[in-house]
Amino acid sequence: MEEVNFVLLWKEQYEKIDQSLQINRRLLKDSLHQKAETALQSVVRTKQIGIAIAIIYLILLGLVLSYAIVHYSSAANYFIVSMGAIFIININALYDYIRHLVWAGAIDYSGSITVIQQQLNRLQLSIARHIRVTFLQLPFWSTFYLSDRWFPSEMGWGYIVFQCLLTLSFVTIALYLYKKLRLENLDRQWVRSVLSGAGGKKVRNAIEFYTEIENFKNENKC
Amino acid sequence: MIFYSRLRIIDKLSANANLNEPIMPSTDKTDVFLQVIEAHKNMIYKIANTYCKDPEDRMDLVQEIILKLWQSFDSYNSAFKYSTWIYRVALNTTISHYRKNKTRNRKTAYFPESIISMAGPADNTQMDQNTVQLNRFIDELKPLDKALVLLYLEEKTQKEIADIMGITETNVSTKIARIKNILKQKFSQIKH
Repeated sequence: MEEVNFVLLWKEQYEKIDQSLQINRRLLKDSLHQKAETALQSVVRTKQIGIAIAIIYLILLGLVLSYAIVHYSSAANYFIVSMGAIFIININALYDYIRHLVWAGAIDYSGSITVIQQQLNRLQLSIARHIRVTFLQLPFWSTFYLSDRWFPSEMGWGYIVFQCLLTLSFVTIALYLYKKLRLENLDRQWVRSVLSGAGGKKVRNAIEFYTEIENFKNENKC
Repeated sequence: MIFYSRLRIIDKLSANANLNEPIMPSTDKTDVFLQVIEAHKNMIYKIANTYCKDPEDRMDLVQEIILKLWQSFDSYNSAFKYSTWIYRVALNTTISHYRKNKTRNRKTAYFPESIISMAGPADNTQMDQNTVQLNRFIDELKPLDKALVLLYLEEKTQKEIADIMGITETNVSTKIARIKNILKQKFSQIKH
């Protein structure tokens, strides 16, 4: 059987096109500097709304927390500690998010394909990191309403046991999720579901591509 | 230091350029960049054409590739050939563009007109059955496999492909052999 020469087919296909391609040098030269900046700005703009919402939320938390500290009373100890922890965890998550955005803008595309695609994909999946950190605030939402005035002194054993079990279960869940919600565990269906649910289609695609790159780099799998 | 670096760029340009067109050495960064793009426009077009069949989307992609090349031009490492640098930047940009386009609407073009265009009408109507089949097969591949096949069809050595893709030469060889086998099977099915 006559074997088809794929390289020759490819060359023939582009022979005429190669000869007729033209570059609009004037247009390119005129626009290059200005348009490159515009392109970068548009990337930053798309993330601004998310950052603005997070900052407003943090300002509100900060205001409540500073009011409690300024008008300090021992009755607010649980509240101050819980809100303080929630505030710090959220500040950390926002810082992490902005850092990733800056990092995304600084990625040099001249690296090898699998390395750069993996970096870009990991950035898309950095939502996993934000989510696992934000889960750490979970236990503090079960303690902020307590007060030295009535807890535990004025409460019965039943309530004390219930409160301890509630906080303990939140601590366990938070630590478990923090430990398990990693890219290395993407082979587990529930990890994929949690991350996909949090980040939508974009994250689902990133998860699929993550597996694709891993398979591509693996010499035994094709 | 900057002057020395530009001289190296110009030396490299002369060594890499498509010799069909004479390249006048220039010390202006924009001019040097334009000469590099001019010398490698076919490569950029082929990559865009392989991933994007829609002409408008292809125009966007070409613009995006050139912008990324421009942004990355200052950090160009003269230890690599220009073609290797362009393949890396262009394929990385293309794969990201291709993946983004699965979920987004067409973005506004950065430039009002096409940067790369044809001097005459594209004569695609004369494509024979084999070429149509080859394009159809490439179109069905996953983005990373597509990049690999494109480099193979452009007759890059296994070492160059391994450098650009970031995988081992053995892996390149295994994957290309597998893809060629599938292609052969598909072609033999048509003939029977």
